[in-house]
Amino acid sequence: MNDTESTYLSFTEVCLQTGVDEDTVFEIVEHGIIEPIGVEPDEWLFSPTMLTVTKKAVRLHRDLEVDWAGIALAIELLDEVEQLREQNLYLQRRLSRFVDM
Amino acid sequence: MEFKDYYKILGVDSDADNKAIKTAYRKLARKYHPDVSEHQDAEAQFKEVAEAYEVLKNSEKRAEYDEIRHASQQQGFRPPPGSTGGHGDNQYQGDFADFFSSIFGDEGGARSSGSTGRRPFGQRGQDIETELPIFLEDTLSDASKEISYHLPRIDSDGRVTEVKKTLKVKIPAGVADGERIRLKGQGGLGIGESPSGDLYIRVRLVPHPLFDVEGHNLIITLPIAPWEAALGTKVTLPTLSGKIQLTIPANSQSGQRMRIKGKGLPSKQVRGDLYAVLKVVMPPSSNEKIKDQWQKLAELAPFDPRAEWSEVA
Repeated sequence: MNDTESTYLSFTEVCLQTGVDEDTVFEIVEHGIIEPIGVEPDEWLFSPTMLTVTKKAVRLHRDLEVDWAGIALAIELLDEVEQLREQNLYLQRRLSRFVDM
Repeated sequence: MEFKDYYKILGVDSDADNKAIKTAYRKLARKYHPDVSEHQDAEAQFKEVAEAYEVLKNSEKRAEYDEIRHASQQQGFRPPPGSTGGHGDNQYQGDFADFFSSIFGDEGGARSSGSTGRRPFGQRGQDIETELPIFLEDTLSDASKEISYHLPRIDSDGRVTEVKKTLKVKIPAGVADGERIRLKGQGGLGIGESPSGDLYIRVRLVPHPLFDVEGHNLIITLPIAPWEAALGTKVTLPTLSGKIQLTIPANSQSGQRMRIKGKGLPSKQVRGDLYAVLKVVMPPSSNEKIKDQWQKLAELAPFDPRAEWSEVA
């Protein structure tokens, strides 16, 4: 029931699921917030994670009244924070195997 | 239903101008937006703030609200008759948006972040995201996992209820932490002719008591005795797929990494490696005989572990 193909989404599906128009998704792709697979929009494929990021970008744009360049920056930084948090947890776990904490 | 003071929520005076209201909203929205905030009830807080702003930024709605606010200060708050937004009963009691719709109906609706907003007729079902904890061992080959999740359903009376759904899901080998798997059409039911939403499963690798994950590589901390580090030894090392023999060379150092090829996690292209990190541990106690031996060693070995310090000092 879960074949790998079906986990990717088309351009139209992304518009439908995020509830925004094509121009908005273009805007998000053009700002490099997500990078769909494929060159032409009609062959673009979006991973589920890209969909999640798109939804987040749309929410932040609407709720915080920030332009797309700002959203791109915010999402990059949020991503970095999450990575650092995870890395921090990981390093703490590693460290605890070597020293008493 | 309790009266909500939108001015208090935004932290502005009741005669604040539009600019002040906007500034206050933006500041609070940045603070409580569920996508950026670490606050515990960020979502609920943000909804309040967004709802307050929805009303106060619009001069018509604000005037209407001011009137109700004024009246409620004198005689307590009673929702205006006949203006409830179409969902009777008390099923939404406690929901903040209820106060909003008691005044303004469902039109325009408060902006809600996330997917909890009520949807108009004839719309595609909700997408659902759920987390699935996976053991490292399960990522070695395709695994079948049973997941249960709750789906919102609107019954014939228009009430929102939850139904539990259980699915068997194939988790492909080599799945990574944080990866999302999409199951088309397994989310919330569509309204009318509209299709169902999708189910997104977010994979979470469960921390393993022995192995830490670094990309596709695994790391195991391998404790050895000081003499094992000095003389070298053979140890039996657990891996995710059975035990192996590992040779520790003489003169090994604490913290040193040894690579065991192909014993990490699988990925789409290659299989990661396992790294054994040596940790030299002292025996907890010793007797006179052993102490004697250490003493001899101390006299014999020309070794200053703090040589680096003397260069600095």
